Amino acid sequence: MKIRVKEKEETSKAKVKETNLWKDALHRLMRNRMATIGGVIVIALCITAIFAPLVAPYAYDEGNFWNNYAKPGKEYWLGADFMGRDLLSRIIYGTRVSLSVGLMGATVSFVIGIIYGLIAGYAGGKVDNYMMRLVDIGYGVPTLLFIILLMVYFKSSFASIQPGTLGGMLSSIDNALGGMFFIFIGIGITSWLGMARLARGMTLSLKEKEFIETARAMGASNLRIISRHILPNIIGPCIISQTLTIPTYILYEAFLSFIGLGVNPPTPSWGMMISEGYQGMRSYPHLVLFPALALSITMFAFNFLGDGLRDALDPHMKL
Amino acid sequence: MFAYIIRRIFWAAIILLILSLVTFTLMHMIPGGPFDREKKLPSEIIANLEAYYHLDEPFWKQYLNYLGGILHFDLGPSFTSRSRTVNDIIRQQAPISAQLGLFAFFIAVALGIPLGILGALKQNTAIDYTCMWLAILGVSLPNMALGPFLIWIFGLKLGWLPIARWGGISHMILPAITLGTAYSAIIARLTRASMLQVIREDYIRTARAKGLSERIVMLHHALKNALIPVTTVLGPIFAIIITGSMIVEQIFAIPGIGKYFVTSVTNRDYPVIMGITLFFGALIVIANLVVDITYGFLDPRIRYE
Amino acid sequence: MKKGTIVLGIITLMCVSILALPVGAKTVLRWNLSTEPPTLDPALATDTTSVFVDEQLFLGLTDFNDETNEVIPELAKNWFASDDGLVWTFIMRDDVKWTDGKPVTAYDVEYGVKRTLNPATASDYAYVLYVIKGAQDYNTGEVEDASVVGVKAVGDYIVRFELNHPAGYFPAIAGMWIARPQPQETIEKWGDKWTMPENIVTNGHYMLKEWVHDDYLVMVKNPDSYEADKVQIDEIYCMMVTEASTAQSLYEGGELDVQEIVPLEDMDRIKADAVLSKELYIAPRLCTYYYGFNNEKFPFDNPLVRKAFSSAIDRETLIATVLKGEQKPATTFSCPGIFGWVDPAEEIGHPFNVEKARAFLAQAGYPGGEGFPVVTLMFNTSESHRKIAQVIQDMCQRVLNVKINLANQEWGVYLKTCVEDAPQIYRLGWCADYPDANNWLNDVFNSKSESNYANFSNPEYDKLVEEAAREFDPAKRIEMYKKAERILCDTDAGIAPIYWYTRVVLTKPYVERTYAPMGGEHIKDWKILPG
Repeated sequence: MKIRVKEKEETSKAKVKETNLWKDALHRLMRNRMATIGGVIVIALCITAIFAPLVAPYAYDEGNFWNNYAKPGKEYWLGADFMGRDLLSRIIYGTRVSLSVGLMGATVSFVIGIIYGLIAGYAGGKVDNYMMRLVDIGYGVPTLLFIILLMVYFKSSFASIQPGTLGGMLSSIDNALGGMFFIFIGIGITSWLGMARLARGMTLSLKEKEFIETARAMGASNLRIISRHILPNIIGPCIISQTLTIPTYILYEAFLSFIGLGVNPPTPSWGMMISEGYQGMRSYPHLVLFPALALSITMFAFNFLGDGLRDALDPHMKL
Repeated sequence: MFAYIIRRIFWAAIILLILSLVTFTLMHMIPGGPFDREKKLPSEIIANLEAYYHLDEPFWKQYLNYLGGILHFDLGPSFTSRSRTVNDIIRQQAPISAQLGLFAFFIAVALGIPLGILGALKQNTAIDYTCMWLAILGVSLPNMALGPFLIWIFGLKLGWLPIARWGGISHMILPAITLGTAYSAIIARLTRASMLQVIREDYIRTARAKGLSERIVMLHHALKNALIPVTTVLGPIFAIIITGSMIVEQIFAIPGIGKYFVTSVTNRDYPVIMGITLFFGALIVIANLVVDITYGFLDPRIRYE
Repeated sequence: MKKGTIVLGIITLMCVSILALPVGAKTVLRWNLSTEPPTLDPALATDTTSVFVDEQLFLGLTDFNDETNEVIPELAKNWFASDDGLVWTFIMRDDVKWTDGKPVTAYDVEYGVKRTLNPATASDYAYVLYVIKGAQDYNTGEVEDASVVGVKAVGDYIVRFELNHPAGYFPAIAGMWIARPQPQETIEKWGDKWTMPENIVTNGHYMLKEWVHDDYLVMVKNPDSYEADKVQIDEIYCMMVTEASTAQSLYEGGELDVQEIVPLEDMDRIKADAVLSKELYIAPRLCTYYYGFNNEKFPFDNPLVRKAFSSAIDRETLIATVLKGEQKPATTFSCPGIFGWVDPAEEIGHPFNVEKARAFLAQAGYPGGEGFPVVTLMFNTSESHRKIAQVIQDMCQRVLNVKINLANQEWGVYLKTCVEDAPQIYRLGWCADYPDANNWLNDVFNSKSESNYANFSNPEYDKLVEEAAREFDPAKRIEMYKKAERILCDTDAGIAPIYWYTRVVLTKPYVERTYAPMGGEHIKDWKILPG
């Protein structure tokens, strides 16, 4: 009797010890200090973005012309821009833009990419071949040039369109979002390729595994196999790889704003602020320094978090 | 092997063809033409100009004309500059971007690979964090802030380097650093990840078991294999650097092709836009092609794909 | 000492003394063109960069004195009009040569004018020559024969123009780059490539020596020009730096002698700096910055709405806090220096006035901004226009309690948008082609004008400006233009002028220079002081 009880205890102990992949990964992640710091920063950014009106001392468009270019001081902690608007508040609100662009861009390309890759990988054969050729073609396109062309197209065609048409509707959505809608689309359209390749690669290797064969033998439909068996297994690495691309989207938006194809003023975006302050860097360095710092810190955070997530999930994994 | 190469080249050509079609279409969809002026030109003149540049013909015909030109390596006339053709523009300005790109690439590699190796060898230690931190610093500092900052410090305050424009090697340093640091991060992280993976492989353990010194194990066996995946991105990165040079060329007033691209989009100079896009596209495709072929040599399994 | 040593010593001494002699050191002016000139062909030049270079390379019948803006003789020694004012005769100098040795003759002038008007050349500025008889017909293709154009060389050095109507300002037009003599043989031989440094033939005080596209351009003094002995600067080195802050760094670093694109953010620092503040000069410039309203688009089809917006803009604050270039607030269109401009003391137009602005809007049916639709303000892509637009957006929104969306497009698309269907509020600037209000009030806002993006239409206004164009008596013309400005900017408020431009320029203390309000200085009159 004693022995059986002991066995039971051991088994239950063993059960407790057997954690799943995710908990394991989380542990490893927490041990990685930089990644944890990164994660904390990202969470802090999200909170700032959501609660911006509560955190920011001023509204982002509230300015006093006669106070403009103020150096950092008591009244304006980080200084003021050319219209006398508080830089700190604008950076806080700018978090919204950068994070939305990063997350939305990542989401759009994630969704497109993963669906595309799943279908290609699962179908295999000729379908896969042609679909991947398309991706290859996409790779041959210079991304930045394309985004520029796309943005120019969006801004020119829809800027002065009558309401009621499709263009008008898209344009009003864009205006409501402060000019971000077209940026989401622009970035999303051009960046799903990597995701597609990754998803397809993983689907291909998973497809041959035994548990899939088992499922098929049991009569599961394709859709069920994809959604219940394949998707959950690939979604982890996919999300992580996307996390690593978020900083790229944030940079794209900064670049687009810098050349005038970004958000509409007075919506603050870090890229826009850098572009506004850049000419005056010699006289008022704070105008560029603080938005650039914000951008850098955000990218740091995402990069380290992403790296850490990937390391934690599987240090051997090739991404 | 030969068939593999032929297949790859064939696909490269198809990719370029489709790229040209997509760019051509997109350009013509964008409103605004090259002849929009402050004062509307008399219709007769516009008609003349359009006839001269074949803009009055149907879309598909224009495209075929253009393709025909390409086969003769003639990318057409520029709409804004009457004395230079697109070929002239690319011929005169692309080498400058290439030089800058090469230098930046060199900096990226020289910084990135050592940082990556170091980080992998000392994984999760302070050294690893420092290396990664430095690498990411490079990618996080936006070009447009880094550039003027470097100009200010090294050009104006210290006077060690030229402030801007193009000239000898000294003119290349600041822009190349501005351009290359972002990519050194990518290379560093990739090298590190790849090294980490390779270190754990069996053959490394075998090498160690054979009694080879740690240094030889790392440098000869691990590094060589670790660099293989890194080379796959070196190709596209090389091409990307040339594209990413737009801002840097603008800031440093370098007469390269990136700077001119932005100008040509602003001016709706279709042939120049097309020419530069195709040129970059060709670079990327060729870079990929070279990498693919090299991969084929290195890893025989790929050839039979 | 040995003989050889002595000889060696003497030779060395000679060499050293020769080397020590100041070998005609070249004076070089380092200038910034800020962009690659799209063309150097005088018939095709439209932008300030190309025009600047052409000013140094090509001579015209007349010219503008840099400082007084008066028309002065250049290729033409003198000129006179017939009694009815329809025929102008110019007597040219006979001592000017092209750089290939051939003399510059009246036939070259005739060729130049006809080439500009030739529809195949597709010159943007040809319309300025429409005052010449037959010019418009030829240019628009109505008539194919160039001989209908009223320009004729009646002798080697005498050229005669026939006009459609009397025009007192014609000598000014005769000096513009599009009416200058062009080298026929060279153009016919080289076609589009005739402006390459190795092919080009010019007749000005400078010649084109080198042109590395998108990088730099070098002009050297023409030793055979008729004023060569007075031209002090041997070489003009023109770089092409677009970024204002980079140009500023180059200037402060000593690599650029004249800086014309000063970043406005640096203004405070420059004014406070002991050295730079002395090198700073704020010169007048014959341009007006204005916001136009599409008079045919709701809600700006209502003059009261337009008046409200114009009154809501605090021009002084904009200039003092953001622009910082000591520009002048403008409530009328033609700027100071233009014949026919209106002094602000006359109080024509709608200056900043909060109560009036709100009153106008209420009168229009939107008290307190209630019910006013969201409107769009568009500008062409540029950091400074964006800043100004944000400021004005902020001002109008605050004063009138309305909502304005900002949008921007690149220059080419922007123009097309304005031409086809101008936005409700659009930003534009107008610079003088020649310093007469005709070029402003008539050329732009006559209801038939193609530059009238605002769709401003008032028959009385049209009548006024058309009459003023024909009128000879300056006093009468001034009165007519004043009345016209009142209609344009006050009673009808078709547009809202914002400010009159200035040129903010930094020049190194060793450069002795002139300032031309319309741009295109003559470097031949400049000097570089030694030391």
